[in-house]
Amino acid sequence: MSFLITSSPHSNDFGSVPLMMRTVIIGLLPATIAGIVLFGWPALLVILSSVIAAVLTELAVNKIMKVEPTISDGSAALTGLLLALTLSPVMPWWQAALGAVFAIAVGKMLFGGLGYNIFNPALVGRAFLAAAFPVQMTTWAAPMFWRGVEAVSSATPLALMKFQQQTTVYSKLFFGNVSGCIGETSALLLLLPALFFMFKGLINWRIPASYLGSVAVLGGLFWLIDPTKYPDPLFHLLAGGLMLGALYMATDLVTSPLTPKGMWVFGAAAGVLVVVIRLFSGLPEGVMYSILIMNAFVPLINCYTRPRILGYPQKRFGRPVK
Amino acid sequence: MNKLTKMIVVLSVIGLVSGGILSLMYQWAEPKIKVNQIKANDAAVFQVVPGTVKYKQISDKDLTYFECYGQRGEKTGTAILCQGNGYQGVIKMMVGVNADFSKFTGMIVLEQVETPGLGAKIAEGAFTAQFKGLASKPPIEYVKSAKPSKLNQIEAITGATISSRAVVNIINKTVQQWQQAK
Amino acid sequence: MAASKVKRGYLTEYLKGLWDENPVFRQLLGMCPTLAVTTSTINGLSMGLATTFVLVCSSTIVSLIRKLIPDQVRIASFIVVIATFVTMADLFLKGIFPDISKALGPFVPLIVVNCIILGRAEVFASKNDPAKSFVDALGMGSGFVVALTVLGTIREIFGTGSLFGLVNFEPWVIMILPGGAFITLGLLIGLLNYLKEKTGQQQAAPACLPVDSQAEVN
Repeated sequence: MSFLITSSPHSNDFGSVPLMMRTVIIGLLPATIAGIVLFGWPALLVILSSVIAAVLTELAVNKIMKVEPTISDGSAALTGLLLALTLSPVMPWWQAALGAVFAIAVGKMLFGGLGYNIFNPALVGRAFLAAAFPVQMTTWAAPMFWRGVEAVSSATPLALMKFQQQTTVYSKLFFGNVSGCIGETSALLLLLPALFFMFKGLINWRIPASYLGSVAVLGGLFWLIDPTKYPDPLFHLLAGGLMLGALYMATDLVTSPLTPKGMWVFGAAAGVLVVVIRLFSGLPEGVMYSILIMNAFVPLINCYTRPRILGYPQKRFGRPVK
Repeated sequence: MNKLTKMIVVLSVIGLVSGGILSLMYQWAEPKIKVNQIKANDAAVFQVVPGTVKYKQISDKDLTYFECYGQRGEKTGTAILCQGNGYQGVIKMMVGVNADFSKFTGMIVLEQVETPGLGAKIAEGAFTAQFKGLASKPPIEYVKSAKPSKLNQIEAITGATISSRAVVNIINKTVQQWQQAK
Repeated sequence: MAASKVKRGYLTEYLKGLWDENPVFRQLLGMCPTLAVTTSTINGLSMGLATTFVLVCSSTIVSLIRKLIPDQVRIASFIVVIATFVTMADLFLKGIFPDISKALGPFVPLIVVNCIILGRAEVFASKNDPAKSFVDALGMGSGFVVALTVLGTIREIFGTGSLFGLVNFEPWVIMILPGGAFITLGLLIGLLNYLKEKTGQQQAAPACLPVDSQAEVN
């Protein structure tokens, strides 16, 4: 009788990367379909061009680097999809494709491919687009505009809050009947699959919990200080890309901390950044930058939250801690 | 000659020679630089207050404005130097008002460091032309994604509300200061 | 080393600055003006020319007086010489080309601290004769001009969305912003390294090894 002996960590369910990527893609499908229903053909075009460009770029880079194609693990398609979900539905398709090319080529493959990237590739692509095409990135469409219900140009709930001090009804935010990015409008459709995955252990619950928690606490604090000037915590939680970012982007395994303690720090700090950017900067939304900034801190967080090995003194940067 | 003296002598000589060269260069360049500055200022003043042939600069604390006079010595208006913080840095503008201060006669942006392609559009003709003929009382207002409906309104640049708002606020504030100082 | 050094012709000394030891692409020196002012072809070109002027003049002067300067005060002396020429260039631009001077802003006075200039004075001009130093500085300056002009042109084309007015497309605003400078420079260096590897040349950046230039020291 022979035993298979391996060192830790031992994998349990959902161990393989392709399976994991596919499950997350499936989890994003409800929000994707809702986005297409809400925003019509333009949204579908943005999603398709982004996904296809992401996969083709990965293939092309694989060819240039002369390595086996890695597109079958589904991570490129997921990056393309995540990017598309954070874009405005009326974005020209070639700009979405360009963002996907940048996300994969510069955000991921230049670092060495999946597992080596420091920043979330989809958000790198989005940051590039936000800097390259600021007008298109902030031109939104009202839901159902393709049926001719309302004019094309429409402000997002966060922009309305920031520039005109107008609030939006919660039920609209919850079910997604507002203008915004393709995939960020409905908190419900993002939350349900995520809850299922957290239950299954696929998505770590600590990051979303600390992220959303710190947004709610800090947002609530400001609301208590001056309710007329600052929006209440529920609005913070439901509006903008917070749900999408907290549930599907901040939780990216590659670019988030490894230790449970680190995850709490990561999420909480990102939440603080979101509130600070939303309330005190020139931008209406801060989820993208909050996650990108915290991505940069992940190695440091990992270093400081490393558990002590039993029987050995606590070490940091290879030296014992006094 | 010992080391120390040599060091002192060499550095002093180099310093003296370069100082001499620079003073010559400065004497040559200074009048040209002055002419350039005056030319730039002339162009700005003449553009924002049409019909001006000469002007008088008046500086009052941190406020600078130019009383403008036409061909026959009549007052054509005032050009006011407006300065304040924009989205990324200081915005410097020249704003013209007519003699009885009923409307603006023009505006140009002298210096700005707003986002290229977005906030930087405040320096483009399409935006600055809106100030020509604008009613100067009550203070300027801006509207977004709509045509101005009142005489004192301008349309903000799409996607660059902050820069547009900054321009309006700076002008309103400076013009108010000027009225108090006048 | 010393023998081969003496034999190096003027043409080689000139060409090394353009390609093998290009200050921007190979030595990664003078990054501040490289990244900050290259928003258009004309800005890149004029910045490159102003720097070349200072570089050539200061290298020649430093080489001429190199035997008079005591070792202990050499850096101070070099800086005074460099600062003199920078101020001259600044005054000249302000007087004759006010528009360019305005576009380049504080980066003309900042040529003083451009490490290419002090670097060439220290590793080359202070150890070689004036003719050679002149050619070396001219080569380095040309390399700098080429690099800045290329960067400026690429950024202008994408950032204004117009290929010399022939083809027009949606401008990529990021290319005018600082981020675009980093992206363009990084991709250009990557491309040049790739080409260098392809042509089978050694991938050494000789400027990092000042041994080469110390042949005539003392």
